Amino acid sequence: MAKQTQNRYLVDYGEPVGIIAAQSVGEPGTQMILRSFHLAGIESTVATSGLPRIIELVDAKKKPTTPITYIYLESGVNKNFEKATELLKKINEVRMNHIAKRVLENFSKGKIKVVLDKQELDSEGLTQKYVASKIEKELDLEAKIEDNGIVVNMHTRNLKEIRAATISLMKMLVSGVDGAGKGTIRRDDATKEFYLVSAGSNIEGIMAVDGVDKTRTTTNDVFAVYRLFGIEAASKALAIELKKTLKEQKISVDDRHLNLLADAMTASGTIKGVGRHGLSGEKKSVFARAAYEETLKHLIHAAAFGEVDRMKGVTENILIGKQIPIGTGSVKLAVKKEDMAKIKPKSDK
Amino acid sequence: MPSKSDHELVPVHEIMSDKDVKELFKTFNITIDNLPKIFESDVQAKKLEAKPGQVLKIYRREGKREYPYYRAVIDG
Repeated sequence: MAKQTQNRYLVDYGEPVGIIAAQSVGEPGTQMILRSFHLAGIESTVATSGLPRIIELVDAKKKPTTPITYIYLESGVNKNFEKATELLKKINEVRMNHIAKRVLENFSKGKIKVVLDKQELDSEGLTQKYVASKIEKELDLEAKIEDNGIVVNMHTRNLKEIRAATISLMKMLVSGVDGAGKGTIRRDDATKEFYLVSAGSNIEGIMAVDGVDKTRTTTNDVFAVYRLFGIEAASKALAIELKKTLKEQKISVDDRHLNLLADAMTASGTIKGVGRHGLSGEKKSVFARAAYEETLKHLIHAAAFGEVDRMKGVTENILIGKQIPIGTGSVKLAVKKEDMAKIKPKSDK
Repeated sequence: MPSKSDHELVPVHEIMSDKDVKELFKTFNITIDNLPKIFESDVQAKKLEAKPGQVLKIYRREGKREYPYYRAVIDG
């Protein structure tokens, strides 16, 4: 009985699952445009959501508009707020221009003076001494603490050199992980654990930090997942992102449609978009490609190179008005040669 | 079947034996070209040292449901 019930839900042979998936995602997608609104709040990292995000995923954009990393913490750290804050400080990307209040270039003496913001320093858990030593180590310059700032002695009066040094000094990474961005601490209400959300996508760098759970930390950048974990993980991440985006908009689409989309996009071994430069542009049939976009380009190319169209797909058969290979149309009647001989023509009397 | 992978997102990959591959092709009536692909240079394929022409069996998990997925290893 259970087996029978289960079998009822299986896909039949020849069922156009792709078309059903496309329609199932497309129809609620039309409602999404009208329903895009913004919530006011204290959220520091506002992710792209709704239709723009779906388009981004489906077109397989190399970099998401708003990369976000969800950093989970190891079991010793994840229930302790102080320890989580400490870890956040280790990860938070702090550059010199974030903490500098004033920068004074003294060209006649060949010195650069940087006055640091005390409040910013305290909130990041840094000291002047640490910053000065970081300058010496990273940029190989002479840095000393004098009255209320750090003075970098350039030993030159060359204008260009001093200006170049100031620029690289301002860009210098003081603490944190390169490309990690600014993060915030959040608490999962269900498991009561703390996790970090950071507005960057350098997941490789973040995973190298001690205390970060390397088995759960993820990002919304599917290409970063692909580079780090391979195509299977990318497929899963893509499906998760699609589901999450639709769920945010309170649209319910069956998971299997989105899984199919993610699998189709990753079937070639890398992530391919669905548009002109992806799945649709790589169809075997000339007519199917010509029917989609850039009709002339495909037809001329096919004519010039003598391409052959086997007319096996759906689009090209609709085009010429033949039965399409879907459902009952996908089976053909064949008769064996020896059976053919047995058939006697009706004699008309 | 190896039970754990190094990340939540990564299902367990396994190189299939020639016998299993033959059986797979027979049950689904397909050739290796019909399978989804995975590059030889893919992180997971590299870990298993899979060579082009082999087939990887992937133990996917969707909630409580488990099902196999197959990918053919290709050059690149």
